[in-house]
Amino acid sequence: MPNIIEVNNLTKSYGNIKAVKNIDFYVNEGELFAFLGPNGAGKTTTIDIICTLLKQDSGTVVVNGYRLGEQDDKIRKSIGVVFQDSILDNLLTVKENLYTRGSFYGMKSIELSEAVEKASKAADVTSFINRPYGKLSGGQRRRSDIARALVHTPKILFLDEPTTGLDPQTRKSVWDTIRNLQKGTGMTVFLTTHYMEEAANADYVAVIDNGLISAKGTPVELREKYSTDSLHLFPKDGNNIEAYLKDHDIKYTISGGAFIIPVSNTLNALPLINKLESLISGFEVISGSMDDVFINITGNIVRED
Amino acid sequence: MTVMINLIKRNLKLFFRDRTSVFFSLLAVFIIIGLYVLFLGNMMVKNFKELLGDNARFAVDSWVMAGLLSVTSITTTMGALGTMVEDKAKKISKDFSSAPLKRSQLAGGYIMGSFIIGVIMSIAALVIAEIYILAGGGKLIALMPLLKLFGVMVLSVFAGSSMVFFITSFFKSNNAFATASTIIGTLIGFLTGIYVPIGVLPSAVQTAIKIFPISHAGALFRQIMMDVPISIAFKNAPAQAVTSFKQTMGVVFYAGSKELSPLINILVLIATGIVFYMLAVIKISIKKRD
Repeated sequence: MPNIIEVNNLTKSYGNIKAVKNIDFYVNEGELFAFLGPNGAGKTTTIDIICTLLKQDSGTVVVNGYRLGEQDDKIRKSIGVVFQDSILDNLLTVKENLYTRGSFYGMKSIELSEAVEKASKAADVTSFINRPYGKLSGGQRRRSDIARALVHTPKILFLDEPTTGLDPQTRKSVWDTIRNLQKGTGMTVFLTTHYMEEAANADYVAVIDNGLISAKGTPVELREKYSTDSLHLFPKDGNNIEAYLKDHDIKYTISGGAFIIPVSNTLNALPLINKLESLISGFEVISGSMDDVFINITGNIVRED
Repeated sequence: MTVMINLIKRNLKLFFRDRTSVFFSLLAVFIIIGLYVLFLGNMMVKNFKELLGDNARFAVDSWVMAGLLSVTSITTTMGALGTMVEDKAKKISKDFSSAPLKRSQLAGGYIMGSFIIGVIMSIAALVIAEIYILAGGGKLIALMPLLKLFGVMVLSVFAGSSMVFFITSFFKSNNAFATASTIIGTLIGFLTGIYVPIGVLPSAVQTAIKIFPISHAGALFRQIMMDVPISIAFKNAPAQAVTSFKQTMGVVFYAGSKELSPLINILVLIATGIVFYMLAVIKISIKKRD
Protein backbone atom coordinates (compact mmCIF):
# COMPACT_ATOMS: atom_id res chain seq x y z
CA MET A 1 0.00 0.00 0.00
CA PRO A 2 1.39 3.43 -0.92
CA ASN A 3 1.88 6.09 1.72
CA ILE A 4 -0.84 8.69 1.44
CA ILE A 5 0.67 10.87 4.15
CA GLU A 6 4.39 11.16 4.81
CA VAL A 7 5.73 13.31 7.60
CA ASN A 8 9.47 13.82 8.03
CA ASN A 9 11.36 15.71 10.76
CA LEU A 10 8.36 17.86 11.57
CA THR A 11 8.99 20.57 14.16
CA LYS A 12 6.80 23.36 15.49
CA SER A 13 7.30 25.75 18.39
CA TYR A 14 5.13 28.42 19.90
CA GLY A 15 7.67 30.87 21.27
CA ASN A 16 9.82 28.84 23.64
CA ILE A 17 7.40 25.96 23.86
CA LYS A 18 8.20 23.12 21.53
CA ALA A 19 4.85 21.59 20.63
CA VAL A 20 6.11 19.09 18.08
CA LYS A 21 9.70 17.85 18.22
CA ASN A 22 11.08 16.40 15.03
CA ILE A 23 8.54 13.67 14.39
CA ASP A 24 8.34 11.17 11.51
CA PHE A 25 5.52 8.90 10.48
CA TYR A 26 3.58 7.78 7.49
CA VAL A 27 0.01 6.67 6.87
CA ASN A 28 -0.94 3.90 4.45
CA GLU A 29 -3.70 4.53 1.97
CA GLY A 30 -7.04 3.19 3.12
CA GLU A 31 -6.15 2.56 6.73
CA LEU A 32 -7.57 3.94 9.93
CA PHE A 33 -4.68 5.69 11.59
CA ALA A 34 -4.99 6.74 15.22
CA PHE A 35 -2.88 9.41 16.79
CA LEU A 36 -3.02 8.64 20.47
CA GLY A 37 -1.88 10.98 23.19
CA PRO A 38 -2.92 13.00 26.21
CA ASN A 39 -4.19 16.58 25.89
CA GLY A 40 -1.39 18.96 25.05
CA ALA A 41 0.76 16.23 23.50
CA GLY A 42 0.92 17.95 20.12
CA LYS A 43 -1.88 16.09 18.34
CA THR A 44 -3.87 19.12 17.21
CA THR A 45 -0.73 21.02 16.23
CA THR A 46 0.33 18.13 13.99
CA ILE A 47 -3.11 17.79 12.42
CA ASP A 48 -3.32 21.56 11.84
CA ILE A 49 0.03 21.51 10.06
CA ILE A 50 -0.93 18.59 7.82
CA CYS A 51 -4.24 20.30 7.02
CA THR A 52 -2.42 23.47 5.85
CA LEU A 53 -3.69 25.60 8.74
CA LEU A 54 -0.38 26.09 10.50
CA LYS A 55 3.08 26.58 9.06
CA GLN A 56 5.71 24.21 10.38
CA ASP A 57 9.10 25.49 11.55
CA SER A 58 10.89 22.72 9.69
CA GLY A 59 10.30 19.32 8.17
CA THR A 60 8.44 18.07 5.13
CA VAL A 61 4.91 16.79 4.73
CA VAL A 62 3.52 15.09 1.64
CA VAL A 63 -0.23 14.51 1.46
CA ASN A 64 -1.75 12.48 -1.37
CA GLY A 65 1.41 13.10 -3.38
CA TYR A 66 1.27 16.87 -2.90
CA ARG A 67 3.94 18.76 -1.05
CA LEU A 68 2.81 20.93 1.85
CA GLY A 69 3.69 24.60 1.38
CA GLU A 70 3.82 24.27 -2.40
CA GLN A 71 0.57 22.63 -3.45
CA ASP A 72 -1.63 23.57 -0.53
CA ASP A 73 -4.80 24.02 -2.57
CA LYS A 74 -4.43 20.52 -4.02
CA ILE A 75 -3.98 19.16 -0.51
CA ARG A 76 -7.07 21.06 0.63
CA LYS A 77 -9.11 19.44 -2.12
CA SER A 78 -7.92 15.97 -1.06
CA ILE A 79 -8.76 16.31 2.62
CA GLY A 80 -11.85 16.68 4.78
CA VAL A 81 -11.45 17.86 8.35
CA VAL A 82 -13.64 17.38 11.40
CA PHE A 83 -12.39 19.85 13.97
CA GLN A 84 -12.64 19.63 17.73
CA ASP A 85 -14.84 22.72 17.79
CA SER A 86 -18.17 22.97 16.01
CA ILE A 87 -17.48 24.91 12.86
CA LEU A 88 -20.86 25.03 11.16
CA ASP A 89 -23.22 28.00 11.45
CA ASN A 90 -25.74 27.69 14.27
CA LEU A 91 -28.42 29.74 12.52
CA LEU A 92 -28.32 27.77 9.29
CA THR A 93 -29.85 24.35 8.77
CA VAL A 94 -27.55 21.40 8.23
CA LYS A 95 -28.49 21.43 4.55
CA GLU A 96 -27.73 25.13 4.13
CA ASN A 97 -24.42 24.59 5.88
CA LEU A 98 -23.52 21.70 3.58
CA TYR A 99 -24.44 23.72 0.47
CA THR A 100 -22.36 26.72 1.54
CA ARG A 101 -19.29 24.73 2.49
CA GLY A 102 -19.65 22.40 -0.48
CA SER A 103 -19.55 25.36 -2.87
CA PHE A 104 -16.01 26.14 -1.62
CA TYR A 105 -14.80 23.20 -3.67
CA GLY A 106 -16.03 24.60 -6.95
CA MET A 107 -19.12 22.41 -7.16
CA LYS A 108 -22.23 23.89 -8.75
CA SER A 109 -25.98 23.25 -8.77
CA ILE A 110 -26.62 19.60 -9.67
CA GLU A 111 -23.18 18.34 -8.76
CA LEU A 112 -23.42 20.15 -5.44
CA SER A 113 -26.85 18.88 -4.53
CA GLU A 114 -25.79 15.33 -5.37
CA ALA A 115 -22.68 15.76 -3.21
CA VAL A 116 -24.76 17.10 -0.31
CA GLU A 117 -27.17 14.19 -0.57
CA LYS A 118 -24.37 11.63 -0.68
CA ALA A 119 -22.53 13.14 2.26
CA SER A 120 -25.66 13.42 4.38
CA LYS A 121 -26.49 9.77 3.75
CA ALA A 122 -22.95 8.66 4.54
CA ALA A 123 -22.90 10.56 7.83
CA ASP A 124 -26.53 9.67 8.57
CA VAL A 125 -27.85 13.22 8.98
CA THR A 126 -30.87 13.00 6.64
CA SER A 127 -33.42 12.82 9.47
CA PHE A 128 -32.48 16.27 10.82
CA ILE A 129 -31.02 17.90 7.72
CA ASN A 130 -33.58 20.73 7.71
CA ARG A 131 -33.08 21.70 11.33
CA PRO A 132 -30.80 24.56 12.41
CA TYR A 133 -27.37 23.27 13.40
CA GLY A 134 -27.51 25.25 16.66
CA LYS A 135 -30.56 23.33 17.85
CA LEU A 136 -29.05 19.85 17.41
CA SER A 137 -27.72 17.51 20.09
CA GLY A 138 -24.01 16.90 20.47
CA GLY A 139 -24.10 13.66 18.51
CA GLN A 140 -26.18 15.14 15.69
CA ARG A 141 -23.76 18.05 15.44
CA ARG A 142 -20.81 15.73 15.24
CA ARG A 143 -22.53 13.81 12.44
CA SER A 144 -23.19 17.08 10.62
CA ASP A 145 -19.52 18.03 11.02
CA ILE A 146 -18.60 14.69 9.47
CA ALA A 147 -21.06 15.24 6.62
CA ARG A 148 -19.46 18.63 5.97
CA ALA A 149 -15.99 17.03 5.88
CA LEU A 150 -17.26 14.42 3.41
CA VAL A 151 -19.12 16.80 1.09
CA HIS A 152 -16.34 16.96 -1.51
CA THR A 153 -15.53 13.21 -1.25
CA PRO A 154 -12.01 13.68 0.10
CA LYS A 155 -9.37 10.97 -0.10
CA ILE A 156 -8.37 11.49 3.50
CA LEU A 157 -10.65 12.27 6.41
CA PHE A 158 -9.07 13.95 9.42
CA LEU A 159 -10.90 13.88 12.72
CA ASP A 160 -9.55 15.75 15.71
CA GLU A 161 -10.96 14.06 18.81
CA PRO A 162 -14.22 13.21 17.07
CA THR A 163 -15.84 11.55 20.06
CA THR A 164 -14.73 13.79 22.91
CA GLY A 165 -17.63 15.14 24.93
CA LEU A 166 -20.17 12.65 23.62
CA ASP A 167 -22.04 10.13 25.76
CA PRO A 168 -20.86 6.50 25.45
CA GLN A 169 -23.72 5.38 23.22
CA THR A 170 -23.36 8.31 20.80
CA ARG A 171 -19.60 7.82 20.91
CA LYS A 172 -20.04 4.27 19.73
CA SER A 173 -22.44 5.14 16.93
CA VAL A 174 -20.20 7.97 15.68
CA TRP A 175 -17.26 5.61 15.84
CA ASP A 176 -19.17 2.96 13.88
CA THR A 177 -20.04 5.54 11.22
CA ILE A 178 -16.37 6.44 10.84
CA ARG A 179 -15.34 2.79 10.67
CA ASN A 180 -18.01 1.95 8.09
CA LEU A 181 -17.02 4.92 5.95
CA GLN A 182 -13.40 3.81 5.92
CA LYS A 183 -14.27 0.18 5.18
CA GLY A 184 -17.00 0.98 2.65
CA THR A 185 -15.24 3.63 0.60
CA GLY A 186 -11.58 2.80 1.14
CA MET A 187 -11.04 6.31 2.41
CA THR A 188 -8.02 6.92 4.61
CA VAL A 189 -9.00 8.03 8.09
CA PHE A 190 -6.59 9.93 10.33
CA LEU A 191 -7.92 10.59 13.78
CA THR A 192 -6.60 11.81 17.08
CA THR A 193 -7.95 10.47 20.31
CA HIS A 194 -7.16 10.04 23.94
CA TYR A 195 -9.46 7.07 24.34
CA MET A 196 -7.62 3.76 24.53
CA GLU A 197 -10.50 1.66 23.30
CA GLU A 198 -10.68 3.73 20.13
CA ALA A 199 -6.96 3.42 19.46
CA ALA A 200 -7.27 -0.33 20.03
CA ASN A 201 -9.75 -0.48 17.12
CA ALA A 202 -7.51 1.36 14.66
CA ASP A 203 -5.36 -0.27 11.98
CA TYR A 204 -2.26 1.56 13.03
CA VAL A 205 -1.45 3.63 16.10
CA ALA A 206 1.15 6.29 16.76
CA VAL A 207 1.53 7.31 20.37
CA ILE A 208 2.55 10.93 20.88
CA ASP A 209 3.54 12.53 24.15
CA ASN A 210 5.31 15.82 24.80
CA GLY A 211 5.69 16.42 21.10
CA LEU A 212 7.50 13.14 20.46
CA ILE A 213 6.27 9.92 18.90
CA SER A 214 7.13 7.39 21.55
CA ALA A 215 5.78 4.27 19.83
CA LYS A 216 4.02 3.18 16.67
CA GLY A 217 2.60 -0.03 15.31
CA THR A 218 -0.60 -1.98 14.96
CA PRO A 219 -2.56 -2.36 18.20
CA VAL A 220 -1.55 -6.06 18.31
CA GLU A 221 2.11 -5.23 17.85
CA LEU A 222 1.97 -2.56 20.51
CA ARG A 223 0.24 -4.88 22.93
CA GLU A 224 2.78 -7.58 22.34
CA LYS A 225 5.67 -5.24 22.79
CA TYR A 226 4.50 -3.03 25.60
CA SER A 227 2.04 -5.02 27.64
CA THR A 228 2.01 -8.46 29.20
CA ASP A 229 -0.80 -10.92 29.64
CA SER A 230 -1.36 -12.19 33.12
CA LEU A 231 -2.84 -15.20 34.86
CA HIS A 232 -4.89 -14.60 38.00
CA LEU A 233 -5.29 -17.60 40.31
CA PHE A 234 -7.80 -17.71 43.13
CA PRO A 235 -6.41 -20.20 45.68
CA LYS A 236 -8.17 -22.80 47.79
CA ASP A 237 -4.99 -23.07 49.77
CA GLY A 238 -2.64 -20.11 49.49
CA ASN A 239 0.43 -21.66 51.08
CA ASN A 240 0.58 -24.63 48.74
CA ILE A 241 0.41 -22.46 45.65
CA GLU A 242 3.01 -20.11 46.99
CA ALA A 243 5.31 -23.01 47.74
CA TYR A 244 4.84 -24.43 44.25
CA LEU A 245 5.54 -21.09 42.57
CA LYS A 246 8.65 -20.56 44.70
CA ASP A 247 9.91 -24.07 43.96
CA HIS A 248 9.54 -23.53 40.23
CA ASP A 249 10.98 -20.04 40.33
CA ILE A 250 7.89 -18.38 38.87
CA LYS A 251 7.43 -14.65 39.45
CA TYR A 252 4.19 -13.60 41.03
CA THR A 253 2.46 -10.86 42.96
CA ILE A 254 -0.45 -11.13 45.32
CA SER A 255 -3.34 -8.75 45.03
CA GLY A 256 -6.72 -9.05 46.69
CA GLY A 257 -6.08 -12.68 47.63
CA ALA A 258 -5.29 -13.62 44.01
CA PHE A 259 -1.91 -14.67 42.68
CA ILE A 260 -1.02 -12.68 39.59
CA ILE A 261 1.50 -14.33 37.30
CA PRO A 262 2.76 -12.62 34.15
CA VAL A 263 2.71 -14.88 31.09
CA SER A 264 4.22 -14.19 27.68
CA ASN A 265 0.93 -15.03 26.02
CA THR A 266 -2.40 -16.31 27.18
CA LEU A 267 -1.85 -19.90 25.98
CA ASN A 268 1.22 -20.25 28.18
CA ALA A 269 -1.08 -20.11 31.16
CA LEU A 270 -2.60 -23.51 30.36
CA PRO A 271 0.12 -25.90 31.68
CA LEU A 272 0.29 -24.01 34.94
CA ILE A 273 -3.47 -24.11 35.38
CA ASN A 274 -3.45 -27.86 34.74
CA LYS A 275 -0.79 -28.47 37.35
CA LEU A 276 -2.44 -26.32 39.99
CA GLU A 277 -5.99 -27.35 39.19
CA SER A 278 -6.56 -29.07 42.55
CA LEU A 279 -5.28 -26.08 44.51
CA ILE A 280 -7.39 -23.33 42.99
CA SER A 281 -11.02 -22.40 43.12
CA GLY A 282 -10.92 -20.40 39.90
CA PHE A 283 -8.74 -18.45 37.46
CA GLU A 284 -8.71 -15.58 35.03
CA VAL A 285 -6.44 -14.94 32.06
CA ILE A 286 -6.19 -11.26 31.23
CA SER A 287 -4.61 -10.08 28.01
CA GLY A 288 -2.71 -6.80 28.03
CA SER A 289 -4.73 -3.69 27.21
CA MET A 290 -3.93 -0.50 25.33
CA ASP A 291 -3.96 1.20 28.70
CA ASP A 292 -0.99 -0.93 29.75
CA VAL A 293 0.68 -0.05 26.47
CA PHE A 294 0.22 3.63 27.08
CA ILE A 295 1.32 3.50 30.68
CA ASN A 296 4.38 1.49 29.78
CA ILE A 297 5.31 3.83 26.94
CA THR A 298 4.82 7.17 28.57
CA GLY A 299 5.06 6.22 32.21
CA ASN A 300 1.83 8.08 32.70
CA ILE A 301 -1.80 7.28 32.88
CA VAL A 302 -3.59 9.15 30.12
CA ARG A 303 -4.85 12.41 31.48
CA GLU A 304 -8.55 12.54 30.85
CA ASP A 305 -10.58 15.65 31.18
CA MET B 1 -17.77 33.98 -8.28
CA THR B 2 -20.25 31.26 -7.26
CA VAL B 3 -18.23 30.79 -4.10
CA MET B 4 -18.51 34.47 -3.25
CA ILE B 5 -22.24 34.56 -3.98
CA ASN B 6 -22.73 31.59 -1.66
CA LEU B 7 -20.68 33.31 1.04
CA ILE B 8 -22.71 36.51 0.61
CA LYS B 9 -25.95 34.52 0.95
CA ARG B 10 -24.58 32.87 4.07
CA ASN B 11 -23.60 36.19 5.63
CA LEU B 12 -26.99 37.72 4.84
CA LYS B 13 -28.84 34.76 6.36
CA LEU B 14 -26.68 34.83 9.48
CA PHE B 15 -27.36 38.54 9.97
CA PHE B 16 -31.10 38.57 9.32
CA ARG B 17 -31.83 35.38 11.27
CA ASP B 18 -30.24 36.86 14.35
CA ARG B 19 -33.00 39.22 15.48
CA THR B 20 -30.87 40.86 18.15
CA SER B 21 -28.14 41.80 15.70
CA VAL B 22 -30.74 43.36 13.40
CA PHE B 23 -32.17 45.30 16.33
CA PHE B 24 -28.80 46.45 17.63
CA SER B 25 -27.67 47.61 14.21
CA LEU B 26 -30.68 49.94 14.21
CA LEU B 27 -30.24 50.91 17.86
CA ALA B 28 -28.38 54.10 16.94
CA VAL B 29 -31.40 55.08 14.83
CA PHE B 30 -33.79 54.57 17.74
CA ILE B 31 -31.49 56.39 20.17
CA ILE B 32 -31.18 59.42 17.90
CA ILE B 33 -34.93 59.59 17.34
CA GLY B 34 -35.53 59.18 21.08
CA LEU B 35 -33.04 61.92 21.84
CA TYR B 36 -34.84 64.37 19.55
CA VAL B 37 -38.37 63.42 20.53
CA LEU B 38 -37.56 63.74 24.23
CA PHE B 39 -34.90 66.45 24.50
CA LEU B 40 -33.27 68.25 21.61
CA GLY B 41 -36.14 68.49 19.13
CA ASN B 42 -38.33 71.08 20.83
CA MET B 43 -35.37 73.23 21.76
CA MET B 44 -34.13 73.33 18.18
CA VAL B 45 -37.57 74.00 16.75
CA LYS B 46 -37.99 76.88 19.22
CA ASN B 47 -34.60 78.32 18.23
CA PHE B 48 -35.47 78.32 14.55
CA LYS B 49 -39.08 79.46 14.96
CA GLU B 50 -38.19 83.10 14.35
CA LEU B 51 -36.13 82.33 11.24
CA LEU B 52 -38.21 79.59 9.66
CA GLY B 53 -41.72 80.25 10.94
CA ASP B 54 -44.16 77.35 10.67
CA ASN B 55 -41.67 75.33 8.68
CA ALA B 56 -39.21 75.11 11.56
CA ARG B 57 -40.43 71.68 12.58
CA PHE B 58 -40.27 70.25 9.04
CA ALA B 59 -36.78 71.66 8.49
CA VAL B 60 -35.40 70.47 11.82
CA ASP B 61 -36.94 67.00 11.44
CA SER B 62 -35.45 66.67 7.95
CA TRP B 63 -32.08 67.81 9.28
CA VAL B 64 -32.09 65.24 12.07
CA MET B 65 -33.18 62.40 9.78
CA ALA B 66 -30.52 63.26 7.19
CA GLY B 67 -27.87 62.97 9.89
CA LEU B 68 -29.42 59.74 11.08
CA LEU B 69 -29.17 58.18 7.63
CA SER B 70 -25.45 58.96 7.44
CA VAL B 71 -24.82 57.29 10.80
CA THR B 72 -26.79 54.23 9.73
CA SER B 73 -24.23 53.40 7.05
CA ILE B 74 -21.65 52.84 9.80
CA THR B 75 -23.72 51.17 12.50
CA THR B 76 -25.48 48.65 10.25
CA THR B 77 -22.37 47.54 8.39
CA MET B 78 -20.66 47.16 11.74
CA GLY B 79 -23.48 44.89 12.87
CA ALA B 80 -23.14 42.89 9.66
CA LEU B 81 -19.38 42.46 10.03
CA GLY B 82 -19.89 41.02 13.50
CA THR B 83 -20.08 37.72 11.61
CA MET B 84 -16.46 38.10 10.54
CA VAL B 85 -15.30 38.51 14.14
CA GLU B 86 -17.48 35.64 15.30
CA ASP B 87 -16.04 33.37 12.61
CA LYS B 88 -12.60 34.01 14.04
CA ALA B 89 -13.71 33.71 17.66
CA LYS B 90 -15.61 30.46 17.07
CA LYS B 91 -12.80 29.10 14.89
CA ILE B 92 -15.15 28.74 11.94
CA SER B 93 -12.37 30.46 10.00
CA LYS B 94 -10.34 27.28 10.51
CA ASP B 95 -12.84 25.44 8.35
CA PHE B 96 -12.55 28.13 5.67
CA SER B 97 -8.76 27.84 5.73
CA SER B 98 -8.90 24.07 5.34
CA ALA B 99 -10.88 24.46 2.09
CA PRO B 100 -9.43 25.64 -1.24
CA LEU B 101 -10.97 29.06 -0.66
CA LYS B 102 -9.13 32.23 -1.67
CA ARG B 103 -8.70 34.99 0.86
CA SER B 104 -10.13 37.39 -1.70
CA GLN B 105 -13.29 35.28 -2.03
CA LEU B 106 -13.73 35.19 1.72
CA ALA B 107 -13.06 38.93 2.13
CA GLY B 108 -15.34 39.67 -0.83
CA GLY B 109 -18.11 37.67 0.82
CA TYR B 110 -17.84 39.70 4.01
CA ILE B 111 -17.55 43.06 2.22
CA MET B 112 -20.37 42.51 -0.24
CA GLY B 113 -22.53 40.96 2.48
CA SER B 114 -22.07 43.95 4.77
CA PHE B 115 -22.63 46.36 1.88
CA ILE B 116 -25.94 44.74 0.94
CA ILE B 117 -27.02 44.61 4.59
CA GLY B 118 -26.01 48.28 4.97
CA VAL B 119 -28.17 49.29 2.01
CA ILE B 120 -31.17 47.23 3.12
CA MET B 121 -30.99 48.56 6.67
CA SER B 122 -30.51 52.13 5.41
CA ILE B 123 -33.68 51.76 3.38
CA ALA B 124 -35.42 50.58 6.56
CA ALA B 125 -34.01 53.61 8.37
CA LEU B 126 -35.25 55.88 5.55
CA VAL B 127 -38.77 54.46 5.93
CA ILE B 128 -38.64 55.17 9.66
CA ALA B 129 -37.26 58.65 8.96
CA GLU B 130 -40.03 59.51 6.49
CA ILE B 131 -42.68 58.30 8.93
CA TYR B 132 -41.11 60.51 11.59
CA ILE B 133 -41.07 63.56 9.28
CA LEU B 134 -44.65 62.92 8.19
CA ALA B 135 -45.79 62.52 11.80
CA GLY B 136 -44.24 65.90 12.62
CA GLY B 137 -46.32 67.62 9.95
CA GLY B 138 -43.69 67.53 7.18
CA LYS B 139 -44.06 66.35 3.60
CA LEU B 140 -43.14 62.98 2.14
CA ILE B 141 -40.12 63.06 -0.15
CA ALA B 142 -40.80 63.18 -3.92
CA LEU B 143 -39.64 60.54 -6.38
CA MET B 144 -36.66 62.32 -7.94
CA PRO B 145 -35.08 63.35 -4.64
CA LEU B 146 -35.81 59.83 -3.41
CA LEU B 147 -33.73 58.36 -6.22
CA LYS B 148 -30.94 60.83 -5.48
CA LEU B 149 -31.19 59.86 -1.84
CA PHE B 150 -30.79 56.24 -2.79
CA GLY B 151 -27.66 57.05 -4.79
CA VAL B 152 -26.12 58.89 -1.86
CA MET B 153 -27.10 56.00 0.38
CA VAL B 154 -25.17 53.55 -1.78
CA LEU B 155 -22.11 55.81 -1.71
CA SER B 156 -22.42 56.35 2.00
CA VAL B 157 -22.67 52.62 2.72
CA PHE B 158 -19.75 52.00 0.34
CA ALA B 159 -17.54 54.41 2.28
CA GLY B 160 -18.91 53.32 5.66
CA SER B 161 -18.55 49.59 5.07
CA SER B 162 -14.98 49.95 3.82
CA MET B 163 -13.94 51.89 6.93
CA VAL B 164 -15.72 49.44 9.19
CA PHE B 165 -14.27 46.43 7.36
CA PHE B 166 -10.76 47.78 7.83
CA ILE B 167 -11.32 48.39 11.53
CA THR B 168 -13.07 45.05 12.06
CA SER B 169 -10.25 43.09 10.45
CA PHE B 170 -8.17 43.84 13.57
CA PHE B 171 -10.57 42.16 16.00
CA LYS B 172 -10.40 38.54 17.06
CA SER B 173 -12.77 38.35 20.01
CA ASN B 174 -16.45 39.14 20.31
CA ASN B 175 -16.00 41.10 23.51
CA ALA B 176 -13.40 43.46 22.13
CA PHE B 177 -15.50 44.01 19.02
CA ALA B 178 -18.67 44.66 21.03
CA THR B 179 -16.83 47.24 23.12
CA ALA B 180 -15.43 48.91 20.01
CA SER B 181 -18.90 48.92 18.42
CA THR B 182 -20.38 50.65 21.43
CA ILE B 183 -17.66 53.29 21.47
CA ILE B 184 -17.88 53.90 17.74
CA GLY B 185 -21.68 53.92 17.86
CA THR B 186 -21.55 56.60 20.55
CA LEU B 187 -18.87 58.74 18.93
CA ILE B 188 -20.19 58.50 15.41
CA GLY B 189 -23.04 60.93 16.06
CA PHE B 190 -20.59 63.58 17.25
CA LEU B 191 -18.06 62.89 14.48
CA THR B 192 -20.68 63.41 11.81
CA GLY B 193 -22.11 66.46 13.60
CA ILE B 194 -25.67 65.27 13.75
CA TYR B 195 -26.60 66.20 17.34
CA VAL B 196 -25.81 69.88 17.24
CA PRO B 197 -25.58 72.11 14.13
CA ILE B 198 -21.96 72.36 13.02
CA GLY B 199 -22.10 76.17 12.90
CA VAL B 200 -22.40 76.55 16.67
CA LEU B 201 -19.38 74.34 17.42
CA PRO B 202 -15.78 75.56 17.99
CA SER B 203 -13.78 75.72 14.76
CA ALA B 204 -11.44 72.85 15.74
CA VAL B 205 -14.44 70.56 16.18
CA GLN B 206 -15.86 71.79 12.88
CA THR B 207 -12.62 70.80 11.16
CA ALA B 208 -12.72 67.34 12.77
CA ILE B 209 -16.26 66.83 11.50
CA LYS B 210 -15.36 67.93 7.97
CA ILE B 211 -12.38 65.57 7.90
CA PHE B 212 -14.51 62.60 8.91
CA PRO B 213 -15.70 61.22 5.54
CA ILE B 214 -19.17 60.12 6.58
CA SER B 215 -20.04 63.74 7.47
CA HIS B 216 -20.01 64.38 3.74
CA ALA B 217 -22.74 61.78 3.32
CA GLY B 218 -24.63 63.73 6.00
CA ALA B 219 -24.21 66.94 4.01
CA LEU B 220 -25.47 65.27 0.83
CA PHE B 221 -28.48 63.80 2.64
CA ARG B 222 -29.28 67.25 4.07
CA GLN B 223 -28.99 68.90 0.67
CA ILE B 224 -31.63 66.52 -0.68
CA MET B 225 -33.95 66.20 2.30
CA MET B 226 -33.93 69.87 3.35
CA ASP B 227 -34.37 71.23 -0.16
CA VAL B 228 -38.15 71.53 0.12
CA PRO B 229 -38.41 72.88 3.70
CA ILE B 230 -35.65 75.45 3.01
CA SER B 231 -37.17 76.69 -0.22
CA ILE B 232 -40.58 77.11 1.46
CA ALA B 233 -39.22 78.85 4.54
CA PHE B 234 -36.83 81.17 2.68
CA LYS B 235 -39.22 81.98 -0.18
CA ASN B 236 -39.02 85.71 0.39
CA ALA B 237 -35.70 85.87 2.20
CA PRO B 238 -32.43 87.24 0.77
CA ALA B 239 -29.96 84.72 -0.68
CA GLN B 240 -27.50 85.67 2.05
CA ALA B 241 -29.86 84.29 4.70
CA VAL B 242 -30.17 80.94 2.93
CA THR B 243 -26.41 80.60 2.54
CA SER B 244 -25.71 81.34 6.18
CA PHE B 245 -28.45 78.95 7.31
CA LYS B 246 -27.03 76.18 5.13
CA GLN B 247 -23.55 76.82 6.50
CA THR B 248 -24.72 76.75 10.13
CA MET B 249 -26.65 73.51 9.67
CA GLY B 250 -23.89 71.71 7.78
CA VAL B 251 -25.93 71.41 4.62
CA VAL B 252 -22.92 72.82 2.78
CA PHE B 253 -19.37 72.57 4.10
CA TYR B 254 -16.76 75.28 3.68
CA ALA B 255 -13.00 74.87 3.44
CA GLY B 256 -11.91 78.27 4.69
CA SER B 257 -14.20 80.58 2.74
CA LYS B 258 -14.54 78.19 -0.20
CA GLU B 259 -17.80 76.33 -0.57
CA LEU B 260 -17.50 72.56 -1.12
CA SER B 261 -19.72 71.47 -3.98
CA PRO B 262 -21.82 68.28 -3.88
CA LEU B 263 -19.33 66.79 -6.32
CA ILE B 264 -16.59 67.17 -3.73
CA ASN B 265 -18.80 65.48 -1.11
CA ILE B 266 -19.33 62.61 -3.53
CA LEU B 267 -15.63 62.34 -4.37
CA VAL B 268 -14.72 62.24 -0.67
CA LEU B 269 -17.05 59.25 -0.19
CA ILE B 270 -15.75 57.38 -3.25
CA ALA B 271 -12.12 58.05 -2.35
CA THR B 272 -12.71 56.91 1.22
CA GLY B 273 -14.28 53.69 0.03
CA ILE B 274 -11.41 52.91 -2.32
CA VAL B 275 -8.64 53.84 0.11
CA PHE B 276 -9.98 51.77 3.00
CA TYR B 277 -10.72 48.74 0.84
CA MET B 278 -7.17 48.91 -0.44
CA LEU B 279 -5.82 49.18 3.10
CA ALA B 280 -7.93 46.19 4.10
CA VAL B 281 -6.72 44.15 1.12
CA ILE B 282 -3.10 44.98 1.99
CA LYS B 283 -3.68 44.10 5.62
CA ILE B 284 -5.29 40.78 4.76
CA SER B 285 -2.71 39.75 2.18
CA ILE B 286 0.34 40.49 4.34
CA LYS B 287 -1.11 38.43 7.18
CA LYS B 288 0.78 35.19 7.19
CA ARG B 289 -0.11 31.80 8.48
CA ASP B 290 1.29 31.66 11.99
